[in-house]
Amino acid sequence: MKRTAATKESFFQAFTRGDAGVKLTALFWGAGCLVRRQTGKGLLLLLEQTVLLLCVLLTLPFLRKLPTLGTVQAERIWDPVARRNVWNDYDNSFLILLFGVICLLLIGLYLLKTLQMVKAARQAEQTAAVGGQLPTLRQDAGRLLHQDFHRTLLFLPVAGVTLVMAIPLLVMILIAFTNYDRSHLVPTNLFTWVGLDNFRLLTSLANSSAFAYAFPRVLGWTLLWAVSATLSCYFGGILMAMLVNHRRTVAKPFWRTCFMVAMAVPQFVSLLLVRNLFADVGIINTLCKQWGVTDWLYRIGAIPTAGVIPFLTHPSWARPMILLINFWVGVPYQMLIATGVLINIPRELTEAARIDGANALQVFRRITLPYILHITGPSLISGMVANVNNFNVIWLLSRDVYVTTDQQLAAAGATEVDLLVTWLYRLTQDQSNYKMASVIGLLVFLVCSALTLVTFSRITGRGREEAFQ
Amino acid sequence: MKRFAALLLCLTVLGGCSKDAAENPAAVPLRVWVGDQADIPWMEQVLREFRAAHPDRSYDIRIGVQNEGDAAKVVLTDVEAAADVFTFADDQLNSLLIGGALMPVTEGADAVRSANTPESVEAATGPDGQLYAYPATADNGYFLFYNSALISPADATTLEGLLDRAAQNGKKVAFPMTNAWYLYSFFRGAGLQMQLREDGVTNRCTWNATDAPIPGVKVLEALLKLAAHPGFVDADSDAFVAGLKDGSIIAGVSGTWNAAVAAQAWGDDYAAAKLPTYQAADQAVQMASFSGFKLVGVNAYSEHVGDAMDLAAFMTAHDAQVDRFRLRRQGPSNIAALSDPQIQAEPAIAAIIAQAPYADVQRVGPKYWDAAAALGKIIVSGNPDNQDLQTLLDNCVAGITAPADQ
Amino acid sequence: MKRRALLPGILHHGLLLILAALWLTPILWLVLTSFGVDEGPNLRTFFPQALTLRHYRELLSSSGSVSSFPAWFTNTLIVAVFTCLLSTVSVLSTAYAMSFLRFRGRKVLMKAAVLLNLFPGFLGMIAVYFILREAGLTNTLAGLVIVYSGGAAVDYLIAKGFFDTVSRSLREAAWLEGANEWIVFRRIILPLARPIVVYTVISSFLYPWMDFVYASIIMSSGIAMDKTVALGLFSLVDKVNRNRYFAQFCAGGVIVSMPISVLFIIMQKFYVEGITGGSVKG
Repeated sequence: MKRTAATKESFFQAFTRGDAGVKLTALFWGAGCLVRRQTGKGLLLLLEQTVLLLCVLLTLPFLRKLPTLGTVQAERIWDPVARRNVWNDYDNSFLILLFGVICLLLIGLYLLKTLQMVKAARQAEQTAAVGGQLPTLRQDAGRLLHQDFHRTLLFLPVAGVTLVMAIPLLVMILIAFTNYDRSHLVPTNLFTWVGLDNFRLLTSLANSSAFAYAFPRVLGWTLLWAVSATLSCYFGGILMAMLVNHRRTVAKPFWRTCFMVAMAVPQFVSLLLVRNLFADVGIINTLCKQWGVTDWLYRIGAIPTAGVIPFLTHPSWARPMILLINFWVGVPYQMLIATGVLINIPRELTEAARIDGANALQVFRRITLPYILHITGPSLISGMVANVNNFNVIWLLSRDVYVTTDQQLAAAGATEVDLLVTWLYRLTQDQSNYKMASVIGLLVFLVCSALTLVTFSRITGRGREEAFQ
Repeated sequence: MKRFAALLLCLTVLGGCSKDAAENPAAVPLRVWVGDQADIPWMEQVLREFRAAHPDRSYDIRIGVQNEGDAAKVVLTDVEAAADVFTFADDQLNSLLIGGALMPVTEGADAVRSANTPESVEAATGPDGQLYAYPATADNGYFLFYNSALISPADATTLEGLLDRAAQNGKKVAFPMTNAWYLYSFFRGAGLQMQLREDGVTNRCTWNATDAPIPGVKVLEALLKLAAHPGFVDADSDAFVAGLKDGSIIAGVSGTWNAAVAAQAWGDDYAAAKLPTYQAADQAVQMASFSGFKLVGVNAYSEHVGDAMDLAAFMTAHDAQVDRFRLRRQGPSNIAALSDPQIQAEPAIAAIIAQAPYADVQRVGPKYWDAAAALGKIIVSGNPDNQDLQTLLDNCVAGITAPADQ
Repeated sequence: MKRRALLPGILHHGLLLILAALWLTPILWLVLTSFGVDEGPNLRTFFPQALTLRHYRELLSSSGSVSSFPAWFTNTLIVAVFTCLLSTVSVLSTAYAMSFLRFRGRKVLMKAAVLLNLFPGFLGMIAVYFILREAGLTNTLAGLVIVYSGGAAVDYLIAKGFFDTVSRSLREAAWLEGANEWIVFRRIILPLARPIVVYTVISSFLYPWMDFVYASIIMSSGIAMDKTVALGLFSLVDKVNRNRYFAQFCAGGVIVSMPISVLFIIMQKFYVEGITGGSVKG
């Protein structure tokens, strides 16, 4: 947009100073354009306004019920002649919440657009007043490929993200303040707002709440998991990349491919497979028994029961095993990244160091590692965030297999190996406890925000970004 | 660009309103969920007969598979989109009722009541006394499998006898101790209670009773002793099957779903019986069990409830249940079908019938499972932290009886 | 002299061999189980007693078999192609806009993307389900495509990082010759960004093959023909089916993995350049 002095006017100034066309624009978006003979554009704007208003009108009934989330309980009358059920016009709390939120957003969008329209109309008025040429519809369309190219580009992404991410998340956050659970499932039952009650269950304010016991433990393991899973894969990947790309290695692509095959098997296949490998009655257990490993482990007291290595069923075994399996799954990917970085290391740096008499270890510590850290360091934080939300590994490895011996954790539906996300998933899937799942989801968000605070400034920080331009 | 997002949403709303407009009024569209992939051939046969029995109506019926154990979960996620007719295990009746998913049997309920065993009818009846589902099988409980080559019928009447025989042979007796469904057996057998309260959600539990004829602690002591026996192995269904195949398990507690594997593994030595007794507080305690029924429910939100009820009634009637036995070896709940000598001769079904007097209809609130499973795991691990047994039971009972949604 | 170089070489390759064996053993077991005679997991020996093609035959023949693998495969392929198209367009457009263009609301959108990424992905699952249901899109492949590609744009950072490394002067030179932003994007930047395009295409193409969480809720009809590969294979190893269908599950895993492996191996170079180009300088 061309910035002239006129754009500095606020909406209020634009509205009061503008002519009738500008004023009318606040009611009818195309008015300003029509007055200035931009008929096509004016009509398009009017059409846009009509569609938007129609959407608002359609969702308005939901918005009206948003404060109560519905009051009409579903009632069914059996019609024995037609042999079907006759239902009353019942409220569905979830749809009320969903479309109520959408309606609010639409109204906000409408108001925002109106402000912009009025300002734009005022600007056009001023341009016309000094005898300037107003753009034709064709020119406006042309702008969409150049000056306003970002609108063209971002239309699809923003629409998609709004529809499948932003709105759903907003709705689910609001669920944390309702009593949407097993006893209040839609459409048969209604749920309603309960304020902060669900959050109280997580704190010691609610006596003997199992959630208050489980939450810090699950959170602790989530953090421990995120840090160790990320670091182990990260450094594992670097070491493996160095090994594969070492100048002594013969047939580098072959070795790389070996490790990447593990990566190409879809994760749910490889994880379900590994889980069967390491099951209490699995092939590894059979082999260990045959080779006497199981007996030996039992003798030294590493396993609690004779005859079985509880790879994925005992807390002190399951956690390291899950980390190890995650290592197996995650290292090839990190190796690929590290390979890319290693290739880019300026040769002169390492050569110079070697000529100065540095040994391999010194070169690694002084040059290679700092270089890699410098470049991929920020991805460590986003990797941790990804691991906080790493659902697949834990869920696929512990589902139906791991039973906790911690009675209070069990009472909250959690286990020692659960991450916040898997706990959340169990609560929704197994217990339909959507309200607590949302509370936990919000807390995951807080944890991740804390972790990301560091990179946040890096990603959007001006200095760093513009430095390349 | 956000205006387009708005437009999209708008279309979404409009689409939602008009989606049911185009329907062929001639054919009645119905969706039916069976519990297992392997049930499909049976269901197809039933559908052929169903169509033949209703020549005046045309149906467009699609068969889907939804595991009976998870049916309630899936149905309740969105009742309005769930199948018109679905199969579920009887323990989910209450969840489904709270979610309003089940249509009461408004036509021919008395016929259903009189045709099926009283236990199966009880399992399909809601707290208000109405019949909410059609009993389809009466074989979803558990009983004892044993290899009669190594174990005599007399040994099979006591758990101690079974374990000793197994230990002598270097073999195992499998019991899924970490599965709450099975753990119930010991406590209930000893006279301790665990059942659903009137609210339909929370449980009442007396497993920690100190004043009962056999106090909870005595049961727990007995279980710890059993779990430490060299002949004992805690085995879930997978482990049981694996053990059958490699011959390491010579007896175990499981259900009809593993009968075929056992019959195959042991051949003529395959035998089944009611659950044995076990020693607690110096007396022999008959193990109880949950009886289990597969029920067929009609979705109350179905557009074609009448036709759905016809189908549900048809697929649980005498003939369909007999077919079900023939094709799937599943034991009928239909009294007439049950009297068929061929069905009675089936060891697994005979065992179910023998266990019936000690079996309870499963009415359990959601908090039972994790809490009881944790206790089972502690037992199998041999109480690793040496906690006080009464405390263990108290914790377990606190978990079982906790309010449902906290 | 020679001997001193030989020993480290042997140790070096020995280590590589051990690691490769560790990484490939489970995969080997996958392949072996899929060809083995056992229906369930083979628990006695690592190598099957006898080999058979039975599981592949059963998996691929739609008659009499529980699975409808060909249908699953077609479904997933359709979803993957469209997801890939839409996601790639979304990601590249967003990355280009955020990297090259300066407009009002840019910072806000970037911050919003960061925030959205901090929530667990499937928290909003039920809401997504109801949005799709109201649009009549549940149990349709279109619904799956929307779910998989709709949120793709928030993962634009790697592509943006790559674009950030592209010289700005090219763009200005093109302007002088009368090109608009669209032409710059289409004719100049995209060809330069081939590694990141390939990276984006591959990762978005793969997503529908791997996801079972969203698929299970959106394709909830229970009808075998409606499933995706992930969902279908998953149903083969649930509690009830595991002992009967584990080998078929492995066979399905092998079949799915083969094209993906080939894709990976061919695209390895681009993949490495794509990731590193983006994360390195981003």
